[in-house]
Amino acid sequence: MQISPKEINTLIVLITLVFLLAPGFLLLYINLYNRRKKKHIEEKALMQQTFAAEILKTQLEVQEQTMQTIGADLHDNIGQLLSLTSLTLNSIEISEVNKARQKIDTALDLNSRCIKELRLLGKLLQGEQLIKNGLTEAISNEITWIEKAGQYQVDYQTENFSTESNVDKDLLVFRILQEVLNNIVKHAFATQINIKLCCRDKQLQLIVEDNGVGFLTDEVPQKQHGMGLHNIRKRAELMGGEVGIRSEPGTGTLVELNIPYP
Amino acid sequence: MLKSFSPNITVEIICLIFAIIFLSKDNQTTWKSMILFLLVICITEIAGILTKRTVNGNNWVYNIYLMPEVGFTSIMFGHLLSKYTKGKVLVLPGLALFFVLYLYEIYCHGIYSFHVLTTTVMSIIFISYGLYYYYLLIKDEHYINLKSYAPFWWVSGTLFFYFGSTVSNLFFTIFNTEHSILFSFRHLIYILINIILYSFWSYSFLCRYRQRKSIL
Repeated sequence: MQISPKEINTLIVLITLVFLLAPGFLLLYINLYNRRKKKHIEEKALMQQTFAAEILKTQLEVQEQTMQTIGADLHDNIGQLLSLTSLTLNSIEISEVNKARQKIDTALDLNSRCIKELRLLGKLLQGEQLIKNGLTEAISNEITWIEKAGQYQVDYQTENFSTESNVDKDLLVFRILQEVLNNIVKHAFATQINIKLCCRDKQLQLIVEDNGVGFLTDEVPQKQHGMGLHNIRKRAELMGGEVGIRSEPGTGTLVELNIPYP
Repeated sequence: MLKSFSPNITVEIICLIFAIIFLSKDNQTTWKSMILFLLVICITEIAGILTKRTVNGNNWVYNIYLMPEVGFTSIMFGHLLSKYTKGKVLVLPGLALFFVLYLYEIYCHGIYSFHVLTTTVMSIIFISYGLYYYYLLIKDEHYINLKSYAPFWWVSGTLFFYFGSTVSNLFFTIFNTEHSILFSFRHLIYILINIILYSFWSYSFLCRYRQRKSIL
């Protein structure tokens, strides 16, 4: 079959067009991809900014929580103990030696209790710094403080917790734990708290379980204390993880946090 | 005779003027060498016009021009690719292949017959360089404002040219021998791809100038 020059013409025009369209589309694709790259970089920068802001906020919250605890303890325990010591010492009459000895012993006892309380407070203040040394240490310290009240039996277990750490994530996890414990203290009326911290396959898992009154998880956002849970979820998402909450009235509550770690 | 070539020589001279204005004070020799390359292009184009009607035709002019064309283009690609990889080493096998093919074609059919095989293979090699550059550009995590990025426009122009000219190269035999009516058609295609090439290059020189000025 003989091909005419006209047909060759058309063929070449078409092939040339296809060959010119190819780099044209490539150019458009690269331009589009580059724009997406820009958007991605901007989003990444925004996320980093949000993360940094959240870390700062968390640090302030941890500090605030510490200060509140210190304030409450100074007012409720140490203040009371010192007042009692002062009253006891004021009521001593030198003439009655036996009674005076008894009162001095009581004052000494109150004083040693006061020193013990102050030591615990000192540890609490140090606890804020402990996060930098390790999450497990900071949690242990927090538990000591919870147990001090004598209302809760706390069981704390750690499993495969690596030495490799991420200070920022530790702070956020610690704050989440504080928030969960605050909820238990304020609303759960629990007697037993089980805390489990484990790390495997580059995933950190924190489970906090209580035997309190529980609640309907669907109703939480409408209630005031839903804000705490909202913060917990937001912070978990910020770390690329998630939070699961299982609870029903009368069966206690289980909060499970899973995040990539370190 | 001059009429059919005028658009080509016009865009080439405009591009040369752009190169002189925007690249003469460039701090990179590779970019600066574009002035020399464009001067060679203009001289070749004029020589091509002047020798077209001679006994031996003008194919030998374009065959000689192949050497600076491949040389300058390879050096430029080597320079641009060196931002991401060992670009200069990468273009060496291409250059070696060019010399082998060039000598082979001279041996087979002399200097007066156009070196279709060398031109086609080199077009494919330059397309590969261009596509590889695009790939590295996409892979790069850093954002670059392509609108004012000189290397991107230079590579794009080159890519358009070699993509378009490959068709012409492949059909060159038909154009040249069987159907002389199509000979001028080949030039129309070349005019189109030349306009694209030199527009992109001129714009890349402008981008280069702006970039230099903003640094200063």
